[in-house]
Amino acid sequence: MPSAILTRSLTKQYGPLTALTDFHLEVDQGSIFGLLGPNGAGKTTLIRILTTLMRQSSGDAFVEGLDTRTQGREIRRLIGVVPQENSLDRYLTARENLELHARLHGMEARHYRQRIDELLELMGLAGRQKDFPDTFSGGMQRRLVVTRALLHEPRLLFLDEPTTGLDPQSRRAVWDYIRSVAGSMTIFLTTHYLEEAEQLCDRIAIMDHGRLIALGSTQELKERLTGGGNVYQIEFDEGAERYAAVLREMVCVREIEVSGRTVCVALEEWECLSEVIAALNGAPVRRISLRERTLEEVFISLTGAGVRE
Amino acid sequence: MRLRGSFAIWRRDMLVLRRNLPSELVAVAAYPLTIYLAFGIGMKGYIGLVEGVPYGLFIAPGLISMTAVTAAYSESVWSLWFHRRVQFTIDSYRVTPISVSEIVIGKILSGFSHGLVKGLAVGLVIFAITPFRFPLEHLMAYLAFLIPGSAFFSCAGIICGTVMDKPETIGRVEAVFIMPLIFMSGLFFPLSSYPPALVPWVRALPTTALFEGARQALVGGVFPLVFALQVAVTALCTFVAAVWIFRRKMAE
Ligand SMILES: Nc1ncnc2c1ncn2[C@@H]1O[C@H](COP(=O)(O)OP(=O)(O)O)[C@@H](O)[C@H]1O
Ligand SMILES: [Mg+2]
Repeated sequence: MPSAILTRSLTKQYGPLTALTDFHLEVDQGSIFGLLGPNGAGKTTLIRILTTLMRQSSGDAFVEGLDTRTQGREIRRLIGVVPQENSLDRYLTARENLELHARLHGMEARHYRQRIDELLELMGLAGRQKDFPDTFSGGMQRRLVVTRALLHEPRLLFLDEPTTGLDPQSRRAVWDYIRSVAGSMTIFLTTHYLEEAEQLCDRIAIMDHGRLIALGSTQELKERLTGGGNVYQIEFDEGAERYAAVLREMVCVREIEVSGRTVCVALEEWECLSEVIAALNGAPVRRISLRERTLEEVFISLTGAGVRE
Repeated sequence: MRLRGSFAIWRRDMLVLRRNLPSELVAVAAYPLTIYLAFGIGMKGYIGLVEGVPYGLFIAPGLISMTAVTAAYSESVWSLWFHRRVQFTIDSYRVTPISVSEIVIGKILSGFSHGLVKGLAVGLVIFAITPFRFPLEHLMAYLAFLIPGSAFFSCAGIICGTVMDKPETIGRVEAVFIMPLIFMSGLFFPLSSYPPALVPWVRALPTTALFEGARQALVGGVFPLVFALQVAVTALCTFVAAVWIFRRKMAE
């Protein structure tokens, strides 16, 4: 069974700018894979190459074992695409948008009519099928694009930032719909919402500046990148600096950070917590808490905190 | 070569045209009819006969051709630009199992159909408000110009809509190239009005072949074969160029 997606040394240059550098990635069939990265990381570029909208500068990319450079038409039969920009036809009603797409896929009218009815129902759009998409809310437009991408029963669904710009309710609704249709399909989604990746994905890759910088399951990534999460926050009534200096001398303390009255201590392993507590004997400790590093922090620590244009 | 995709896209464009037909026709007929009323009727007493026919009759075929070719050009250029740059619908076509050639051929067909429908509509109005009547052979001969002419301008529109990313540029090209080309090609005056030295150059323009040829076919009742071939060959060449340029742009 070929991988749903396989890239080897994939590189894309826009003139002098390298948007994708020596990119290796493998996505198993049937999984939900999340590609995370800040704006300009190269996510859309990767999707455009995989969906045959654009050619790579060098390297290979395979979708279901098919080469994106020579087997475009065969690939496009198997994939559904939800692009970053909506790409709905505002001069056609919701239903007509879907019908056009079905015809471009060579579906027979008697076959697609029924499929459109089912999907509109499933996506909660049946009541608005005769309306034009520019009268829809952002969340409904997004659902219509997802519906369109699912019409021809693709084996692999690409979603480029499916929920960017939606309010939290609509975002959750889109997640629910994605989960409900996932089935045996492979889903490849990009996002810069970590919560989205955590909620939806089996595996996550983090990329920046066109390079892959981390890959694994949500749990693996958190553990690998946060040292298993043995980070504690200790709040003192006074003298935080002084106690921090004491702790900094201890072998089992990996990292330490003071902000005001709070000292943040990263331990090599949780077993040495008792040593820390012993060392603080008599200190005015108000509170000790375990700090779970969120994926968000992992992300920021990997990609930097600067704002991307 | 498969044309299923072209047909689906053309069908979409015709559905939208049908939906807006009344307002589109009013808008598209207003300009040639204004010209017709101003020159053909208003100036009739001052101009008299041109090349042996009343001025109103002299300009009628050109106005119909002008409507058809400008409609074909505008539809193609704006539609391609809009679907490519504004709505991104071209991208949504390109992720389905049809080829890039099918897309561009569909769009060329749509521009061409717009041209024919609108040209014929203006023709019918002119027919209704004037006493001029033409034998069927003349009308058929005229179509031998109108059809490749609309195809030629539709392809030209596709090329412009493919290479131009900004709407201002499209507007400028229309004002600086398309309209002068049409007006200089003997639409309102006979070629004999040009200084003799210029005539061979003007005759070499494909638009001259189109407008002169169309008038000779409709009004004169002769079939100017050389002009007809010139228009047909130009249409074929721009078609090949349009498909090639669009494919190159999409491969970027
Ligand atoms: N058509 C293009 N021409 C030139 N540069 C581009 C083009 N598309 C994207 N880029 C650049 O490539 C980089 C990656 O962009 P993109 O793939 O859109 O990132 P993302 O989707 O992760 O935000 C960015 O620096 C962007 O400015
Ligand atoms: Mg993007």
